[in-house]
Amino acid sequence: MDFTEPVVLVLTSLADGPKHGYALAKDIETFAGIKLGPGTLYGALSRLEDRGWIEALPAEDRRRPYQITAAGAESLATHLATAQQVAATGLRRLELGPAR
Amino acid sequence: MRPGTGGPRRSAGGSGRPWPAGLLLAYPADWRARYGGELELLISDLHDGGRKPVPMAFDLLRGAATAWLRTTRGSAMSERSRDALITVLWSWVAYAVTAAWFGHDLGIYPSRGAAQQIAVAHPVVPDAFHVLFAVGVVGIAVTGVAAVPFAFEAARYARKNRRSSTFGMMAVPPVVAVVWFAGLHFISSGSATTGRLTVALLWFLLGLAGIAGSTQAISKIVAATEFSRTTWRIGAGAAAAIAAAMLVGTGATIVWGLAFRASQVNSGDAAGWLGVTAIMSVTTARAVIALIGSRRRTVSPEPAVA
Repeated sequence: MDFTEPVVLVLTSLADGPKHGYALAKDIETFAGIKLGPGTLYGALSRLEDRGWIEALPAEDRRRPYQITAAGAESLATHLATAQQVAATGLRRLELGPAR
Repeated sequence: MRPGTGGPRRSAGGSGRPWPAGLLLAYPADWRARYGGELELLISDLHDGGRKPVPMAFDLLRGAATAWLRTTRGSAMSERSRDALITVLWSWVAYAVTAAWFGHDLGIYPSRGAAQQIAVAHPVVPDAFHVLFAVGVVGIAVTGVAAVPFAFEAARYARKNRRSSTFGMMAVPPVVAVVWFAGLHFISSGSATTGRLTVALLWFLLGLAGIAGSTQAISKIVAATEFSRTTWRIGAGAAAAIAAAMLVGTGATIVWGLAFRASQVNSGDAAGWLGVTAIMSVTTARAVIALIGSRRRTVSPEPAVA
């Protein structure tokens, strides 16, 4: 599965506990400053559920929370470690300036 | 209430349905049945939270287009089909090995005379040897035809995602077949000595291990690759045809064995038939149950939100 931005944002949001759609949208807006649209958010949720990286919990007040699975947490950790390495390399090279 | 599951600052469904929610009709029916209720509630929540409807509408249209594309590519059905196909593959391989071992001398089992006696005593009983032979031909042909699109897409997926291990696993079945048949040719070319017979027995057991290894390699490829909807359909059709052939073969073997016992030619030899029938019945049942299970929905549709 491709790690699109919404997928990473949703997994990151669910990493600290189960959330339903609205709670996810507000949390992502808070920690990333990105307003995910409802279609984008549920597109990511459906892909993640198909892949087994998140699972639905029983609905509460007609809102269905989702939680990250062990496989989802492992995939997110791997992706974030790679992203961190790329970010560190990029920042270091920017500090050094372009090669002459 | 669990952390992070609280609702927005209004009561659920406390305001009217915002107009972008009407765009849910643009989504595929299956997708809407699963997520439509939740998504409609989210649209209402976001609308009440101050989100502008026009950007939401564009986002929903883009989401609907993506959902249709994913439906066409078959991602939603892939997980159910994947497990079922792997189960049918293992069941079919175990069945085929058992049927081949039992069927190769069935026409003369336990002797040519006894086989003729059974045929005379029970003329309506189908010839299990020919039925099993036909089942084998159908099963191998269907497996071979279905393997082509799976192999093609697996190779393309592996190249795109740089999964070199997939190519290694794809090489396992042909390499095992070539090595095993070359060894068989070498073993059978000389005179039958005790040492050569021992080597032949070991080679036969290695062949079984090779079949199991090849099946495991194919299962791993199927488990790790994203296939198109068309390919999953081909796989499902092939699995259904193989399961049907297995049913026919098992039925023919049971009928033949009952006739064999009824003929009282040599009822002591029926123990082998019982064991073979048990293996064939179990593998056939596993394949059929896996196929039926794959056609059931894994989630119940959400109730519509008023």
